[in-house]
Amino acid sequence: MADELDTIRSLLKNNRENLLRRANVVATGIGYKATGGEKTSKLSIVCSVKEKVDADQLSEQDVVPADVAGIPTDVVQTGVIRALQAPTGRFRPAPGGVSVGHVAITAGTLGCWVTKNGQKVILSNNHVLANSNDAEIGDSILQPGPFDGGSFPQDHIANLTQFVPISFEGEPSECPFANAVIAVFNAGCRVINSNTRFKVAKVQAEDNLVDAAIATPLDPADVKDEILNIGPIQGAVAGELGMAIKKSGRTTGFTTGQIQQVDVTANVQYGAGQVARFSDQLLAGAMSQGGDSGSAVLDDNNRLTGLLFAGSDTTTIINRIENVFSALGISL
Amino acid sequence: MKAILLSIVLLTPLLALGDDLDMSSSIQEVKKQHEALLLDMPGVVSVGIGLDPNGNQAIIVGLDGSHPKTEEKIPSILEGFPVVIQIIGPVKAQ
Repeated sequence: MADELDTIRSLLKNNRENLLRRANVVATGIGYKATGGEKTSKLSIVCSVKEKVDADQLSEQDVVPADVAGIPTDVVQTGVIRALQAPTGRFRPAPGGVSVGHVAITAGTLGCWVTKNGQKVILSNNHVLANSNDAEIGDSILQPGPFDGGSFPQDHIANLTQFVPISFEGEPSECPFANAVIAVFNAGCRVINSNTRFKVAKVQAEDNLVDAAIATPLDPADVKDEILNIGPIQGAVAGELGMAIKKSGRTTGFTTGQIQQVDVTANVQYGAGQVARFSDQLLAGAMSQGGDSGSAVLDDNNRLTGLLFAGSDTTTIINRIENVFSALGISL
Repeated sequence: MKAILLSIVLLTPLLALGDDLDMSSSIQEVKKQHEALLLDMPGVVSVGIGLDPNGNQAIIVGLDGSHPKTEEKIPSILEGFPVVIQIIGPVKAQ
């Protein structure tokens, strides 16, 4: 057996160039021959082809011989063999599920392509496309994101079009009453020469519903209206308790989970000690990590149900897609 | 026509009274009513609606770690709905 394998190995080595030269052959190897769909115990030289074609439709030099020096061949259809591209790579056109980011951030995930005013735009999180509020409309969006080697201008794919501001706790308050009261106190402090001043801060910021933003591509030819490892989106659906879900993201790729909680209100940490409270969220088990933010979340029938933006060691927090659509005035 | 109008006038207060008499709140209402207090407790990072181990609708309170004092303070039932405490760890934007 070992001897036989060695013999075939050297035989294949001497003949593989000749086999790979034939039309449709994309790979050669050694395997058990299958006859009529059943695997046999007979070793063979396996020729993988893009497409199985009847011998009479091929020119003579393209037909795979029935045997090579007495060792049978087996022709197997595998299709075209492609290098698996990591979602952190550069994609043109770019599908959902790949790395993207504002020039000033690390990297997040391009969720999917949605429609704004009849034009296809990138949907992801505010903290991916708009640097957590710290951005200007028109800022450059890179694919891949800066952490994955994306640089300006080579990887400039889109410009920030719109974002829903995130309301953080402890931000300066715009309440006119509180500010008027404080002005009086501070005037008093000045009178008594105190160097203390009061400042009004929001104790409780208003609840956020979404961490979302959109960006318009520079070239419509860069749009690939599907999601890596998932395919085209087949409509939208409201998330429900117990629903099976999946996502394709920059860091953990394709993962699946289940909606374990609805109506979730959560305090979410952003960098630099900022906390924002989100309500009406969906919560699933662990199915993401840093960099997966912005991933589109779909149900078993590839219907869009949410926008992933946060998580803990054991959970994933997802905006409801209906809230995302209405906040940004977008559709599929 | 008069009779219909009259019955509407007479029935409307009854319907309103019926609403007042209905004391049972939905789990959504109960959660909404208590969540601000729960989220103010040290360590509480999330409040949502899910299922308890018996498959009943429950209010799920997520903690960023072990907080025995907070866990003691959280009731096991709120207005008839079970409350489940889960340690989920800090929730971070990803």
